[in-house]
Amino acid sequence: MWNDLQAALFLFYKYVTRGNKGTSVLTVLVATLAFLQINLISGIFSGALGLIYDQTKNNYVGNIVVQPGKDQWGNKEEYIKQVTELKRKINAIPGIIGCSSRYTIGSVIEYHPDKTGKDIRTVSWPVKSIDPEDEKRISGLHNNMLAGQYLDESDRDQIVMGREISGGYGASLEVQSLKGINIGDEVTIFYHNGTTRKYTLKGIYATAFPLADMNAFVTQKEMESVLGMRDRASEIIIRTDDAYPEAYYIQELRKAGVELPDIRPWQDFIGLVLGLAQTFDIIKRIVLFIGLVVAGVTIFIVIFIATISRKKQIGIMKAIGMKEGIIVASYIMLSLFYAVVGIGIGLAVLEFVATPYFIAHPLDFPVGKTSLLIVRGEVATSIICMLAVSIIAGFIPSWRVSRENIIKAIWG
Amino acid sequence: MIKVTDLKKTYPGKVPVHALKGVSFEIPSGQFVAIMGPSGSGKSTLLHQLALLDKPTSGQILLDGIDISGLSQGKATDFRLRYLGYVFQEYALIPELNAIENAFLPLMLLGMNRKEFIRVSTELMGRVGLVDRLHHLISELSGGEQQRVAIARALVNKSKILFADEPCANLDTENKGIVLRLLRKLCNDLGQTILMVTHEPEQREFADRVLWFRDGRLVKEEYIGKDVQEDAIHNGYRTDVSSSEK
Ligand SMILES: Nc1ncnc2c1ncn2[C@@H]1O[C@H](COP(=O)(O)OP(=O)(O)O)[C@@H](O)[C@H]1O
Ligand SMILES: [Mg+2]
Repeated sequence: MWNDLQAALFLFYKYVTRGNKGTSVLTVLVATLAFLQINLISGIFSGALGLIYDQTKNNYVGNIVVQPGKDQWGNKEEYIKQVTELKRKINAIPGIIGCSSRYTIGSVIEYHPDKTGKDIRTVSWPVKSIDPEDEKRISGLHNNMLAGQYLDESDRDQIVMGREISGGYGASLEVQSLKGINIGDEVTIFYHNGTTRKYTLKGIYATAFPLADMNAFVTQKEMESVLGMRDRASEIIIRTDDAYPEAYYIQELRKAGVELPDIRPWQDFIGLVLGLAQTFDIIKRIVLFIGLVVAGVTIFIVIFIATISRKKQIGIMKAIGMKEGIIVASYIMLSLFYAVVGIGIGLAVLEFVATPYFIAHPLDFPVGKTSLLIVRGEVATSIICMLAVSIIAGFIPSWRVSRENIIKAIWG
Repeated sequence: MIKVTDLKKTYPGKVPVHALKGVSFEIPSGQFVAIMGPSGSGKSTLLHQLALLDKPTSGQILLDGIDISGLSQGKATDFRLRYLGYVFQEYALIPELNAIENAFLPLMLLGMNRKEFIRVSTELMGRVGLVDRLHHLISELSGGEQQRVAIARALVNKSKILFADEPCANLDTENKGIVLRLLRKLCNDLGQTILMVTHEPEQREFADRVLWFRDGRLVKEEYIGKDVQEDAIHNGYRTDVSSSEK
């Protein structure tokens, strides 16, 4: 067995060193290109998805959202209770970076661009409250101000809006929009509980994630005065260090005694995006398949031609007492060699050319700029698949030729 | 020793070809036998059956008492590797290997260690007169040199029998002489049993014995006299002055 392997290795080594260099170079090139197209497209999709996921976590729902649970009669509660105590428990869990409680209440926002009262713009949209300091720990809101300023703890008559609500500033959806309000302008908010208050627009923010820009925020102090309640919340947004999946932290939250409220991971809030992720996955799989077919067929043809054109020689090798297995093994080694070198060069290009290139020239997606996100598992899968395909591509033609009757192989 | 009894080979097909129609003979060890006969008389077919490259339709072949017709394909491959050598008419070397690598390949397959197979094959390359061509690629060798590498490869495993099917067919006169003299010498020096197919009557003079074939049958046997053989060794296929004087 060991002799056979040694002999196969010897033949393989001679095929490579004394065989046609041009063929080797071209075959390796195809393997490299196949590997690159699989992993570049994968990397771009993963980058885009990662960006969307990051945006979701940074600007939309954090990692985990705590919402009111059911009361003892099974009815959904309107608010989470004893929020200070709850937040203390949450913040005590290792790996949790911070949490921020919010109130949400339906409202109509009214804006009079001029004092004549002819142009009245209204938006029917829930207003949320935040604790500006807590919020800093869990979202990028304070860093995303396009104009004006972020809220202060003590602000009462100030409001901050995303550009999809304010309008202008390159807003893309503007389904519910004031169509261009300026910093310092005044709005009137008719809260659904009957309270009416006037606010000055303090700041406009924008993220790369339009859904996150469809929000208007006042301070927690102000909202508690509007609602006439304390220590409650409509939702608590939690950020983790991303070291473990959300399910793990949810389990920890339950263990820590966050029992009643409903706890959900961010994925539950972006069904649309997850649908996109599935589409990306299908495309990735198609690309993987095409890449494997291209590499496999190329190697197959190269080995096929090599063995067919050496049919006589293979017959002679058998005639002098070489086992078919040795001949087949030598060609499998050759095709594995093409794949391994192709993959090696591909990895180097990915690491030292493509990645730096995309970092220097990020791709512009609607949700922001992204470079490649090389997912190790996906690269590993593509490598394993390519090796498997190259083994098959080396085996089939060499096996078919070496199986042939010696007399036929040599004398036709 | 080779003992062939009523050997028949029929190639199946629309019109089956009876290439060997019942052949019997014995060849003692150390004999150089030439197999002669017109084209299509079954010479190559005979060699293929004896060298386990093909299976006879019927009859028995004993090589040193072993009935080889009963061997499985794997056993036959191993048998060829260990006990037989075969020299083809042409183009029988592996172009990616240099001369010595071609010669030592069977030893590598047998699992001999590298130092040992280099030593053995180098010695044999010396015997076939190619010590200064060890590391030449096949494409850099003349036809005669290639055939001598093939002979070295066929003998490197200390083959019991060397088969050669028209080994000189594609060689010029000078190289024919070189190869035939080499085969004769291997028989004399090593006691090598040789079966060589040829259709040039002059070549048979280098052998000890001639089996004449016609139409799939052994029709005549001839023993070469020592004087004829000596004359062939000294003067056969000479291109220099001494042979033109003759
Ligand atoms: N593989 C084969 N299939 C069918 N017929 C064959 C095959 N090989 C040889 N023959 C036929 O068998 C006969 C003997 O051929 P062969 O042994 O090659 O003759 P020789 O070597 O004496 O010229 C010829 O008629 C030839 O056509
Ligand atoms: Mg013939």
